[in-house]
Amino acid sequence: MMRKKFRLPDLGLVIGGSLVGLVLICGVFAPWIAPYHPNDQELLYILAPPVWADGGSAAHLFGTDSLGRDTLSRMIYGARTAMTVAAVASLGAMLLGAFFAHLAGYFGGWVDWIISRTVEVWLSFPPVVLSMLLITGLGIGIDKVILAIVLVDWTRFCRVLRSEVQVARGQDYVAFARLIGFSHLRVIMKEILPATLPMLITLLSLQMGISVVVEAILSFVAMGVPSDVPAWGQMIADARIDMYGAPWGLALPIAAIFVTVLSFNLFGDGLRRTLDPRHAANRGT
Amino acid sequence: MNDQTILHIKNLEISLKTGHKILNGVDLAIRPGRVLGVIGESGAGKSMLGSAIAATLPRGLAISRGSIDFDGLTLTDMNAKTRRDLLGRDIGFIPQEPMSALNPSLTIGHQICHHLARIGLRTAQSREDRAVELFSEVGLDRPRDLLKSYPHQLSGGMLQRVLIAMAFASHPRLVIADEPTTALDVTIQQKVVELIARMRETHNTSVLFITHDLQLAAEVCDDVAVLYAGRIVETGAARRIIEAPMHPYSRCLNLATPNLSGPKARLMILPGTMPSPLERTVMTGCEFAPRCPLAETRCHSSRPALEEIVAGHHSACHWPERSGMIAPPATSAEQVVPTLGSAMILQAKGLGKAYRQHDWLGRVRRVEALRELNFEVREGEFVGIVGESGSGKSSLTKMIVGLEDVTSGTLEVVGMDRATTPRERFFDKVQLVFQDPQSALNPRRTIGSLVTQALEARDSQPSAAERKDMVAALLAKVMLPPDVAGRFSDQLSGGQKQRVNIARALCSNPRLLIADEIVSGLDVSVQAQILELLRELRNEVGFSLLLISHDLAVVRHVCDRTLVMCKGEIVEQGPVEEVFANPQHPYTRQLVAAALGPVVVGR
Repeated sequence: MMRKKFRLPDLGLVIGGSLVGLVLICGVFAPWIAPYHPNDQELLYILAPPVWADGGSAAHLFGTDSLGRDTLSRMIYGARTAMTVAAVASLGAMLLGAFFAHLAGYFGGWVDWIISRTVEVWLSFPPVVLSMLLITGLGIGIDKVILAIVLVDWTRFCRVLRSEVQVARGQDYVAFARLIGFSHLRVIMKEILPATLPMLITLLSLQMGISVVVEAILSFVAMGVPSDVPAWGQMIADARIDMYGAPWGLALPIAAIFVTVLSFNLFGDGLRRTLDPRHAANRGT
Repeated sequence: MNDQTILHIKNLEISLKTGHKILNGVDLAIRPGRVLGVIGESGAGKSMLGSAIAATLPRGLAISRGSIDFDGLTLTDMNAKTRRDLLGRDIGFIPQEPMSALNPSLTIGHQICHHLARIGLRTAQSREDRAVELFSEVGLDRPRDLLKSYPHQLSGGMLQRVLIAMAFASHPRLVIADEPTTALDVTIQQKVVELIARMRETHNTSVLFITHDLQLAAEVCDDVAVLYAGRIVETGAARRIIEAPMHPYSRCLNLATPNLSGPKARLMILPGTMPSPLERTVMTGCEFAPRCPLAETRCHSSRPALEEIVAGHHSACHWPERSGMIAPPATSAEQVVPTLGSAMILQAKGLGKAYRQHDWLGRVRRVEALRELNFEVREGEFVGIVGESGSGKSSLTKMIVGLEDVTSGTLEVVGMDRATTPRERFFDKVQLVFQDPQSALNPRRTIGSLVTQALEARDSQPSAAERKDMVAALLAKVMLPPDVAGRFSDQLSGGQKQRVNIARALCSNPRLLIADEIVSGLDVSVQAQILELLRELRNEVGFSLLLISHDLAVVRHVCDRTLVMCKGEIVEQGPVEEVFANPQHPYTRQLVAAALGPVVVGR
């Protein structure tokens, strides 16, 4: 009979998950956590070093930037921007990609042909150039960044999921569901989607890491969010000029991006391992 | 056993890292030029023997005790290099699946010459000549052309011949054949077995023949060892073990195998399943005791040792002489053949199926998969379809269930024309039981939800309580305990999964059930359970059955009538007894002859 067996939780899942959680909390509760408003200037404290460096003060833990804005507060508010973009854009890309992947993988034939060729053409554009082109056309703003990421990255989902759908489609239980009169929609929702869901969730987590990077790149070249919205990429761009005098202003937002993307990737890998049906098969006999 | 042995496995024990034993105290010896069969069901550990000799045990398994002596050398003490030199040169292997044993991107010639170079043929010319010589020896036509072909251009039977030629190329002292015929068609199976026997004779090689097939072992082997739950329960001369077994397990296996000649008896059903390595560690008595019809209290408390009963015949049982007392369940009186209804459930007239194939230029070519089929299935009738791969069996099933369109002729299913009637009208009337229960059961649904899945497609949904009652009733029909309803399919054994598969098809009370090779992947004892279940169901639930199988004995056991298909045509049809006892068509004769076995080759 079933016996509850204690299994060590996946290390990547735990570490990645808690770091992701931390960044998420920073983003959601930014106004309460951040010591200052991100755009408040204190012109007497320009380019102050962080608290652990020489001349740092406890008033500005991570120091200030060239306009006298508190780096820590800007980073916390930057997390808000990054997380909004990561969550909404990835979800959007997932929905769009998954929709076409299921269509292509399930129906095959000419539907598959059209969708697959479209994806291939789409993928032949360099993604960053494509998103910059889109922003140029759409204008800047968080919603535009999100739209650009969705339009660029849905292909990633579509490609990977399509083959996953094809595997599930070949299973006899799908044929059986058709034989007892399930409609195509029902077969996809009830029989195929549960099989592709683990992959979907894993891809979503990895995509969130990618979205953070894309958002940073776009804000770095001032094609992302408007200048009054704090974003990590923007902070890097701002700190670039005083890089030699105040290296911390540059290093800290880079570290924030690095940690966030790494933890999303760890989390995604951990999810993949945990949701793998081959692991689920160990549910006792 | 005398000291003149080629292979001597002494007290071999293979365990998992956790200490659970896969093989336990296995002693085997093969004398020169003899064929030793190792018979066992899946999970008995028979393939581990071959792996242990080849040093290819799966990760996590290791030899924890005992030794393997080969020709005076102890394999288990050797270093990897000397052992590798021995393998392939002095010990040959014939794999289970010839299709996956050869590299698809290299020519046959490349692969065999590589092997010949390894065993010491220096020049390219000598290697080629030897390859040609070997190919002619195994009966392959035009051996020179074969060298240039790729594996996908050859049939399974031809590939297996190539592999046999390779295994015997170095005149090895020992050849290990791990289920060499399982993946092949019946008639080819026969030829491969004959070939192994002939090669054995010309090269005076010993063969370790691993198989699950009792009949096959009886044909091929001199001696047989029966493996159950990691232990040898009986060894002795092949004939004796098959005809007069001295261990209840061998006897039960024998009674569970359907036969093609002789009276039709009911098949022996062994309750339960073979204990897993985990369960075995806590067992103090005989591993077979929980399933043994003869078991007494002593069997559960003390494990019988393998002892010599008659000269050369060993059995591990407290009461070996009682084995003969196990009788098949009596053909009870109520087992009357149900009267067939007059209604036609299935009627095919001039039925044909053609596929259109496009080549790379877009030219269309018609390939006829089925031609001019005329047959019918009456209400309550069980009809078998036999034929080898490529005979069009699966195309026919797909057409009947509506996964493929009819291209010529008419097909009436349950009184409705398949081609013109809308699909929905067939959903509840025709059901298919799939071959592979692993793939046919959605691993993410519970058993309860699986068996009543057909209800979900209806407009009126039954209440949760009604559905639960239906689940219980359906599970009872296929003799599964009601508590499996909450489990998932990966928590069931192969036989249980196949029962769920059948229960699910019965959910909508179909008039016609199509069973596509439903027992081909199952062990003998599980196969017996499923076949008996089908016969039981026939008395309880009225439906017609179309059973597709490559195994003639299975069809004979279950069906009233049979169709024999060859290359897309029905070459013969009639009542099973008539067709199999007195086959008319040459192809049927060939099939029956292959299934009955040769007049004992190489003995």
